[in-house]
Amino acid sequence: MEDRFIKFLHSGKLAPIKKWGTYWSLWPVHLVTACCGVELAHTFAAGYDGERIGALNYGIARQTNLIIVEGAITRKMAKILRVTWEQMPDPKFVIVMGACGLKGGLFWNGYNLVKPSDVVPVDFYIPGCPPTPEALLRGIRQLQDKIKSGEAKTSVEFTEKDLGVGKPIKIVPKPKKVSKTATIVVDVPRKVDERTKEIAKKIEDSIKNIKVIAVSKNRVAVNVEKEKMKEVAASLKSLGFDHVKNVNVIDVINEQKFIVEYHLGSYSTKDLMPIILNLYTSISRDDPKLKSLSDIFPSADYMEREMHEFFGVFFEGNPHMGSRFLLAPDSPEFPLRKDFKLEEEVYLR
Amino acid sequence: MGKTDYYDEYEIQVHLEPWSELESLFIPIPSKYVEEIYRSEDFLVLVGPQHPGSGHMRLIVRLHGDIIKEVIPDPGYVHRGMEKLAENRTYIQNIPLVERPAIMDAPNYNLGYVRAIEDALEIDVPERAKYLRTILAELGRIGTHLYDAAILAIFLGHSTGFMYPFAIRELICEAFVRMTGARVTTSFIIPGGVRKDVPENVLKFVYDATFEIERRLKPFERIFIHNPTVFARLRNVGTLSKEDAIRYGLVGPFLRASGVEYDVRKVEPYEVYDRLDWDIVVADECDSYYRFLVRVNEVSQSLKIIRQCIKDIPEGRVISEQISENGKEIRGELFDKLANVVLPKGEYTTLTEAARGSLIYTLVSDGESNLPYRLRIVTPGWLYLRGFMESLKGGRLADLQAIYGSFGYFPPEADR
Repeated sequence: MEDRFIKFLHSGKLAPIKKWGTYWSLWPVHLVTACCGVELAHTFAAGYDGERIGALNYGIARQTNLIIVEGAITRKMAKILRVTWEQMPDPKFVIVMGACGLKGGLFWNGYNLVKPSDVVPVDFYIPGCPPTPEALLRGIRQLQDKIKSGEAKTSVEFTEKDLGVGKPIKIVPKPKKVSKTATIVVDVPRKVDERTKEIAKKIEDSIKNIKVIAVSKNRVAVNVEKEKMKEVAASLKSLGFDHVKNVNVIDVINEQKFIVEYHLGSYSTKDLMPIILNLYTSISRDDPKLKSLSDIFPSADYMEREMHEFFGVFFEGNPHMGSRFLLAPDSPEFPLRKDFKLEEEVYLR
Repeated sequence: MGKTDYYDEYEIQVHLEPWSELESLFIPIPSKYVEEIYRSEDFLVLVGPQHPGSGHMRLIVRLHGDIIKEVIPDPGYVHRGMEKLAENRTYIQNIPLVERPAIMDAPNYNLGYVRAIEDALEIDVPERAKYLRTILAELGRIGTHLYDAAILAIFLGHSTGFMYPFAIRELICEAFVRMTGARVTTSFIIPGGVRKDVPENVLKFVYDATFEIERRLKPFERIFIHNPTVFARLRNVGTLSKEDAIRYGLVGPFLRASGVEYDVRKVEPYEVYDRLDWDIVVADECDSYYRFLVRVNEVSQSLKIIRQCIKDIPEGRVISEQISENGKEIRGELFDKLANVVLPKGEYTTLTEAARGSLIYTLVSDGESNLPYRLRIVTPGWLYLRGFMESLKGGRLADLQAIYGSFGYFPPEADR
């Protein structure tokens, strides 16, 4: 029964009308997977008006027949792309926009990326980073041509030229210099103005047993032991530092330690507004545990969770330790540690 | 038939096995939490990841009736691992990389990163380059605010409100094309200046464009900003008091809409912001409408800044003498001059006021490699996510889109 119906749709008397209908109503589902969405929005806005060729973004996958994959597909997004594709009724088409969807583009060796062609069957690729709205419209036109004629064609064909003029291509050394014995110091003092020195002095006087180093203009650093971290943070809060701008972990593999930094800032005290106070401590790489500051500074919560999954630093007291936040369940573990290596590129000449 | 009989007959037997199902949905909450909601009178609503917004994220909303009790964010759908990639590339190879979080705001993203390098190497940037950078950064800010206004309109179901800002954005893109050669991903700012000088007629075009933008904003104001339906959807929705805004570390226009007078451009001026005449836009109303209105007013401040810059811009080099002898263009020698840059040992943190708020780059160098040892990027979207979640609490489910739009939350920016 079903087969006969589909056969009728494809080659029955009304088939040309169906084809014509599909041709003029390629509605892409909203699946802005990455930054190319900016140019996609331009395509369907006043400047380029994609609607005049029958394409307009639509919210729900159930009533659409086209996915425009906009750029990078991450491991977490890949599943969503597949689910959305399966939700669409037949006939369904996929256009991949941007260099990231082709071969990875700028993020080709990223740990969290997959190729859209591994997830869904792709009809057309539009290269560019990002492609212009004209290019996207051309991609939709090519898809219309495919529906009409039944075969997919490249819109531009280039003649092939032999680039190596008699010379064989050789691999040249990378322009990278990587230190094998890198050590990290985060508070190397540089040019400091008087005002920053004054403020550093003031903080030093107000809190017992800490040393405040004025690093450069408006930047001060405080190094404490990991046990005293919470106590110092609480007293800094009473001084006027009311939020955390940044939680950072540096993996110093040569010294077998993590440097955990909290960049504190102030919104409520006028004098302290430009100051960024770097409260940092070192913890062992084997047992990376630290008391969480998220109960003192709620603004540190999400960044602590992020650092936990990137480095495996355990912030005791943060209730979300042990679960994943940004990364997908199948992403590699602790990707930002220095012993997790990415694929290296090759330079040719 | 009695009432109880009716229920007995039609009772639906739902077997509660949340864990296996949750795992297949990737929901990052413990099964206990789901069970607890199932047993209580609350509902669990999953918003997204595929939704008509710009970029994707999932909001796990706990509802009591239609009042939002709690929202758990599930970000990371656009997490491309930039921080790791940056550790494997040289300093200049990272310039195009760091602008990818929010490409409509590319100049601000470049500027923050490049300033960290200049801070480390103590490079003095020529005056003309400083002015050009300021013009670019402000154009990016206008473009991003317009983009967010358009997405807000889409969230409210106001398609005309979407078309107007994008028509204005075409002018910004055209200005970018003429100045830098690219519509969105400009990568124009390099350590020591900008890639090449911008001719006088292009600056004239940008100057004229500012007036055209102002003229085109008028009908948009009538159609969208002062529209009573927009006002009704946004006013007194998603309020976040000043204390909460500070506690949850909000940034940029959203912080200023909660009454905190903090703008990096005033607090720690960079480029030429301290020489120009402009005001911080602050509102005390703390709701979604004023979060939007602050940004609308920032657009006019930015236009003012651009006009002043173009009037005051001096002649001269655009690339520092410490980088290149040719002060007008870096083409042909970018790699030779900058590929082997090695920063002195230490940590360099810069604060930049990107369109959506403070953007923080922390560059850590070991003093020997020509790659960064660690590059930490904290984008405004990531910083205000917590405040965004808090502001949803107590609102109605129907207001979720309005609050989402009023924050202009852009997942590629937040996830990096």
